[in-house]
Amino acid sequence: MERRLVEFVAALRAAGVRVSVAESEDCFRAVEAVGVQDRTVFRDILAASLVKERRDLPTFNDLFPLYFGHGQPPMLRPQDALSEDEEELLRQALEELAGRLNELLRRLLDARALSQEELEAMQRQGGPPPRRSPRSRDWRARQLLRALGLKELEELLNELFEKLAALGMSEEGMERLRALLGHNLEALEEQLRHFAGQAAARQHVEEQERRPGPDLLDRPFSHLSEAEAHALRQEVRRLAARLRSRAALRQRRGRRGGLDAKATVRANQRYAGVPLDLRFKRRRLKPKLVLICDISTSVRFCAEFLLRLIYELQDQVAKARSFAFIDHLEEISDDFNEHHPQEAIVSVLRRLPAGHYNTDLGQSLAQFCHTKLDAVDRRTTVIILGDGRNNYHDPRLDCFELMKRRARRLVWMNPEAPHLWGTGDSDIQQYIPHCYSVHKVSTLAELAAAVDRLFGA
Amino acid sequence: MFSSIQGVADALVGQQYIPSEEIATVLFLAERLGKPVLVEGPAGVGKTELAKVWSQATGRRLFRLQCYEGLDESKALYEWEYAKQMLYTQLLREKLHDLLAEATSLADAADRLAREEDVFFSERFLLQRPLLRAIQADVPSLLLIDEIDRSDAEFEAFLLEVLSDFQVSVPELGTLKAKVHPAVVLTSNNTRELSDALKRRCLYLYIDYPSIEQELRIVQLKVPELGPELARQAVELVQRLRQLDLRKQPSVSETLDWARSLVTLNAAAIDEATLRSTITVLLKHERDVLRARRLRLSDNGAGREEYGETPR
Repeated sequence: MERRLVEFVAALRAAGVRVSVAESEDCFRAVEAVGVQDRTVFRDILAASLVKERRDLPTFNDLFPLYFGHGQPPMLRPQDALSEDEEELLRQALEELAGRLNELLRRLLDARALSQEELEAMQRQGGPPPRRSPRSRDWRARQLLRALGLKELEELLNELFEKLAALGMSEEGMERLRALLGHNLEALEEQLRHFAGQAAARQHVEEQERRPGPDLLDRPFSHLSEAEAHALRQEVRRLAARLRSRAALRQRRGRRGGLDAKATVRANQRYAGVPLDLRFKRRRLKPKLVLICDISTSVRFCAEFLLRLIYELQDQVAKARSFAFIDHLEEISDDFNEHHPQEAIVSVLRRLPAGHYNTDLGQSLAQFCHTKLDAVDRRTTVIILGDGRNNYHDPRLDCFELMKRRARRLVWMNPEAPHLWGTGDSDIQQYIPHCYSVHKVSTLAELAAAVDRLFGA
Repeated sequence: MFSSIQGVADALVGQQYIPSEEIATVLFLAERLGKPVLVEGPAGVGKTELAKVWSQATGRRLFRLQCYEGLDESKALYEWEYAKQMLYTQLLREKLHDLLAEATSLADAADRLAREEDVFFSERFLLQRPLLRAIQADVPSLLLIDEIDRSDAEFEAFLLEVLSDFQVSVPELGTLKAKVHPAVVLTSNNTRELSDALKRRCLYLYIDYPSIEQELRIVQLKVPELGPELARQAVELVQRLRQLDLRKQPSVSETLDWARSLVTLNAAAIDEATLRSTITVLLKHERDVLRARRLRLSDNGAGREEYGETPR
């Protein structure tokens, strides 16, 4: 049992659920305290002590039956369904078939499930373990059954029943035998499917252990594979936590404002006006942000990670409004206010599919100035994320200038390598003189550093 | 305290709370292992209520700490009561005068005063806040830390120390240790990610909206005046509303409010007119109300909208 639990925890970790040693220890104590009689209770105990995040529950639910069974009924023996006479008939029929019985039918008749060693031996012959999906699990189970002789089974069964009929077994008796064999076949298949799933999960655990440490932080966004991007998404949370504590510390240690006379007088009324408790004005360090993100194909990953970071840091930001553009501008704040960043990004990317060379930055800036300029006031930092490639449209520097005048700061983040700035249709050099600062953000590490700067004083 | 999981469930039902099996299991574990429970879930599914009911069912005294942005130790743990200290100094002036009268030098006087310092920094002048009160309680207690996600990250870190050892050090007094380990419930609406360190120390319980049967039981238990037929209709409608893409889904407490208002209005059936006049009890956003109005009442299948998705 204990080994099972340890393996289960390892599988959870491999599937991306964060389980600490302390938590698995708790889990053991919990199981000890309650016992394992009731399967649902056991499940609830594991869930409560191991899974601390709602989004990990589906993973848990997927893996749990692989390690602790479906509660499938065991295989039945022919004796359970047949009378003694019928059994005798069956034995005779089998003798006649002797030598032609295959492994699978024999197992079905003897109600013999596969042992762990046998399963593993089959696994070794069957090539690499399947991937972690229910479909490939089913497929693998079928494959293993075929190895046991599923193909010949039907023919054999027909022959067997013919013999039985010839020997004079009643129609009803044969029906019972047929049902029993069907049940056993199902049970066996379930066992194999189960095993295949476990093998997949175990394989995944090993792969995870072999994977080298993530220096993905310094991998350029343009060279990310989907799998690496996925790994980075996990990283964003840790990064955000680090940035958050830095920002919070800065907030706390930041220079206090001047004496707040009004508040001091009010607070010290109870000390008969003796100023024991001085009150200071609080400096507002939490930035107000407006993000304008290019989400065309070339910068999509970068935009995604920037949005993720900012919304993970929500509690360190006074207010954030975000806009996305390709050929026109659209406000996406609502997506983020109503959904978890994870889902919001997916829905935004689906709503604004990328086209071919249709980015129009100038037009989008004009649109922003026309309709959304109220989002910018003197406390707002405006961040523009994009490569400044404008497809030779009008850059609309007038609009940019106007935004700069209204905003506290105008920050540009460019995921392109600097030697490409200003080449071809890139208008970035024209925008740069108006910016407070320009950052190259081609990797997550650079992006995090740029975001960190936003929270500085 | 509880002998079995079923015992927990029965005790909670005795306090008018319908727990799912999961809730009962987690509470049982929390009592057995003495671990804090972190409860998450949408607003209004009875997270805070669970803590209250737990304290009533076990006879624990409830201490509640409501978290908000900017909450710090002096609001959560303790504070010196300056005003009282001042007052005492004023009133004890005569006595102090006597004490210092015999002093021969300034240094001597200071020493004498220092010897009496303990009077002013004793528990007498310590203003206890919920955390300290829960730790200092003589009887079994339950500490409810409500909406922990609203507090700052630093406060969360500070809480870690308290939750793992149940002791607090006050520089002037030394370490104050819990006499009886309090049970702890933390609730969160998931407005921000909590730190892994905090999660690690807690058992986790996610309370979702109840199933139709559970919600019906809740309504019948809390608003018995509502007829069984009407109650079923009402609950079915609420469950259908939750299927819609709403800005704020109706919570269980809102279902109960609605059930009560149906009773007050003496509604015989839930028809268009009744729904129109009372829907605002359930839905608190104009957009949601408009959307829900389009939901066909007669349609007793799954929640279908007449005009499909509204463009946004």
